[in-house]
Amino acid sequence: MPKVELLAPAGDLEKLKIACLYGADAIYCSGKKYGLRANANNFTIEELKEATKFVHELSKKIYITVNLIFHEEELTNLDDYLQDLDAIGVDAIIASDIIVLKRSKDLNLHFETHVSTQASILNDEAALFYKKLGVTRLVLAREAHLKDIQQIKKATGLELECFIHGAMCTSFSGRCVLSNYCTNRDSNRGGCAQICRWTFESSEANSVFSMTPKDLNLIEYIEAMIQSGVNSFKVEGRMRGIYYIATIILVYRRMIDKILNNNLTVGESKYYLAILNRCANRDSTPQFIDGIPGREQQYFLGRDELSNQDFLGIVLSYDEEKKLAIIEQRNYFKIDDEVEFFGPNHETFSYIVQEIFDENDKKIEIANHPKMIVKLKINYKLEKYDMMRIKVIDKQKFL
Amino acid sequence: MVLVLVEEKMKINRYLITVTSDSILDLEVKNVNFLFPIQGYSVGFQKTYDIQKISKKNSYLYINRILDCESIQQLKKDLENINPNIEGICFTDLGVVQIVKSLNYPLKLIYMQNHNTTNSASINCYLEDVDSVLISTDITKEEIMTILNQAKKPLVLPYFMLVDVMYSRRLLLNNFQEEFHLQPKREEVLTEPISKNNFLVIENDYGTVFYAKKFIDYRFIQHPNILFYFIQPIGLEKEDVEKILAKEDLKGISDTGFLEKKTYYRLKEENLCQK
Repeated sequence: MPKVELLAPAGDLEKLKIACLYGADAIYCSGKKYGLRANANNFTIEELKEATKFVHELSKKIYITVNLIFHEEELTNLDDYLQDLDAIGVDAIIASDIIVLKRSKDLNLHFETHVSTQASILNDEAALFYKKLGVTRLVLAREAHLKDIQQIKKATGLELECFIHGAMCTSFSGRCVLSNYCTNRDSNRGGCAQICRWTFESSEANSVFSMTPKDLNLIEYIEAMIQSGVNSFKVEGRMRGIYYIATIILVYRRMIDKILNNNLTVGESKYYLAILNRCANRDSTPQFIDGIPGREQQYFLGRDELSNQDFLGIVLSYDEEKKLAIIEQRNYFKIDDEVEFFGPNHETFSYIVQEIFDENDKKIEIANHPKMIVKLKINYKLEKYDMMRIKVIDKQKFL
Repeated sequence: MVLVLVEEKMKINRYLITVTSDSILDLEVKNVNFLFPIQGYSVGFQKTYDIQKISKKNSYLYINRILDCESIQQLKKDLENINPNIEGICFTDLGVVQIVKSLNYPLKLIYMQNHNTTNSASINCYLEDVDSVLISTDITKEEIMTILNQAKKPLVLPYFMLVDVMYSRRLLLNNFQEEFHLQPKREEVLTEPISKNNFLVIENDYGTVFYAKKFIDYRFIQHPNILFYFIQPIGLEKEDVEKILAKEDLKGISDTGFLEKKTYYRLKEENLCQK
């Protein structure tokens, strides 16, 4: 099978590092300007330099989103910004506005240009339109069926990138300005207020209309997508936290590697799916890959958006001599809790909390203060950035 | 005398009017080109027309679906047999440019994705491949005038139209009605209770379109670089369009959209604006 890329989101430098460590082959993120997550932390030019250096040292890639739809006022500094990105040495930009693709070409910049999913590419002819603009990769519309992916690959030979996990727009991306109308915030310049997740009054008597889509999850289609010519598997979520990024990226890393090595079992596949479903605060489904999503792939009324408190702590360091892990707490845990440790360089393992020590080595019963430093005696060697979560899924039951 | 005639000629507006109901075709106005939503290739219309049956002189085909691979190849076949009276195609999927060029027909192409034609530089890029572009309905009057001044070909101005504010491939009305066992309806009016915005929702087998309930009225904008003044009279009849053309006061059903209302995208900017 061909080599494929796992592409992770990064809303800031910490998330970028976590995504790289947990197995992403490439990262996409935004500068302070011109990205569609205008209210995420995003990266200054200096941070982009640091990020690019970091990913390149790991032989990974970094793509910068320059994917807003430009108004006249944003055009003023576009060339300078593109040249700054070029000087930093980013590997590609992801753009949807045709002027960004054109300027990148005219300025003879070194980075590649990828067409954003905002361009809603769903057929081979539209793909060929963009190919003639010099782009090297297409991020297909999330509405693409498997047969469309195959045909676009066949007709263009371009690299194809597809979203495989995360939140969905109700509309075709880029084809919604509900936010502009309801809040005066421009969705195509990064200000989307997610109006499609609100409720509406219907003209039907006493009827409340809603249309929120469940999240996307294509874990069961990865193999078919590889065979259809998808080169890059993209996870949504530049606004998500490090636990989410680490969990999702690690699951897909292991899954993709096993597919490529031809040793993925049905049981493991089901286990990975259970982990993914547990991690998100919404249910996830395959959405458009094999048809048009029906009512079962949407939420209607009475939906509970779960606040996930599985993330218990992040390992700051491990003292091999004392077999002591220093952990920064993220959610409440106590003695006798059954937890799991997971990380990029070891198999996930279970552990029952027997003793907890605070920063001053004093024994405590519970870890209940956010970000408090605690120490746990663990025989298994842990590494910085390994994570601790409550154990709710037993892998053995799936095998 | 000649100069006066030329000047008079320049003042004549050409209208592009979407045929949203059969009565629109009875309009007795000069300088009108009709735009027909096409069966199988259009979304958001109560009425669509068979591509092979359109024969009206100088008419345009309206293909506003985002097309999948199968549909665009079918469109290519369908275009091989269209009536020679058809002057052009208004479209949103850029794949249409490719297939029309490959057919080598003298069809005019008008790009009508009104949510990404928001600046002059991008519009000029599109104009390298198409004959004209519909100016965005998401920008201010100042931005529209800049675009009109800088565009290298005449453009289509939103003149009086119901703006599509969301286009989904999902069958949102159908899904909702199925979930709650309601009578099937392919048209609905929804109200967002906080902003009190109303939306007209129209669905067909290819997706669901939300329209802002009020028409945008840009009838006072004049500029020499306009190819067509675009009228999209969804839900209106011939008599209403006559009022639009006569520039009658239609404030009850229209407003000026974002012409005088700049949008924001960073929360800090929005807060500053509110202060």
